[in-house]
Amino acid sequence: MLELLPPLNDHNLPWMDTIHPIVVHFVIAMALIAFVFDLGGVVLRKPALHEASFWNLLFATGAIFVAIIFGQVEAGLAAPYGAARNILDIHTTIGWSLAGILSLLTGWRYVLRSRDPESIPLSFLAAGGLVSGLVLVQIVLGDELIWTYGLHTVKVVAAMREGLI
Amino acid sequence: MAFPLGLAYAPLEAPIDQIASELGANGLPYPLPIHPNLVHLTIGLFVIAIAFDVVGALYPLEKRLFRFLALPITRGGFHDVGWYNLLACCLVTFFTVGAGFYEMLTAVPLPGVTSTFGLGSMTTMLWHGVGGVVLLLVITAMTIWRGFQRYAWRRDMGRQVQWIYLFIGVLMFALLGLHGTLGAQLAAEFGVHIAADQLLQAGADLHTALP
Repeated sequence: MLELLPPLNDHNLPWMDTIHPIVVHFVIAMALIAFVFDLGGVVLRKPALHEASFWNLLFATGAIFVAIIFGQVEAGLAAPYGAARNILDIHTTIGWSLAGILSLLTGWRYVLRSRDPESIPLSFLAAGGLVSGLVLVQIVLGDELIWTYGLHTVKVVAAMREGLI
Repeated sequence: MAFPLGLAYAPLEAPIDQIASELGANGLPYPLPIHPNLVHLTIGLFVIAIAFDVVGALYPLEKRLFRFLALPITRGGFHDVGWYNLLACCLVTFFTVGAGFYEMLTAVPLPGVTSTFGLGSMTTMLWHGVGGVVLLLVITAMTIWRGFQRYAWRRDMGRQVQWIYLFIGVLMFALLGLHGTLGAQLAAEFGVHIAADQLLQAGADLHTALP
């Protein structure tokens, strides 16, 4: 069975480099800017910012499912060690939760926009702020996996194959 | 006077040694690098800005599809995303490039590594550094150009952007992709600012050296 799988390179990946961090550009940037634009829309009374916010939120919600698919494959090949195992577990749990939370937020926003595209209630703005906070926590966890523990970097993969980790 | 190639003088002490005692294992005075996080915003905002302007430009073709999806749309709404995302991208990217220079000046790439592109660490950093400034320049110019299209030249038109603007935007996707790959190589292959890679290079045991 195993010989049917593609060979892994020096990043321990079947493709050139990690794809998950590229896809998350579109979750992180779009989810955070959706909140910033909503905040700007309320403060500056600019309905165009609410419209831009809606589309960014919708895009973030679509992108997070792609991010999770690649995240799961690359997590499965990451061979986490030490505390990175725990961090990866929490990152995975929050990631799946965020998919649900962003979907709910987008659904809520769809209804709000259908009723009145020019403004949003403060409760939605507060929810957006909370979700942005969760996104920031998720970024820090993902950052630790790469920048502290070096998962999928050539040096760590080499050390892992030599049995040093 | 002729200048033969070859460095005349290289100090025994690298400039980074002056602040080495103030840096952590990752080569930074803080736990996680800032530049790669701002990059999420630069790339995400730019790509979606152009993508939504393309959707706005092709509006006559896709009207029926959105009606089928029961998603109320306006052409102006797509162009709002195109404008505000690019404006946000432009503002953030000054900080992306600034943080990038701080973190490149403090970079200690692993010795003896050649990247997938066949480049050494110094060449990779030079391309990534100069490329970053060029990208910032293009993004800023495109933001000003986009502003003129929105508020002056095309303010009364349905399609708010010129085709040449979209064409250059899509070309920029390729440049950003290439540039981002160089940056990714600095991390994943040269181990720049990755604590685990730097500790392994120092001969440390990761099970005891990392929290």
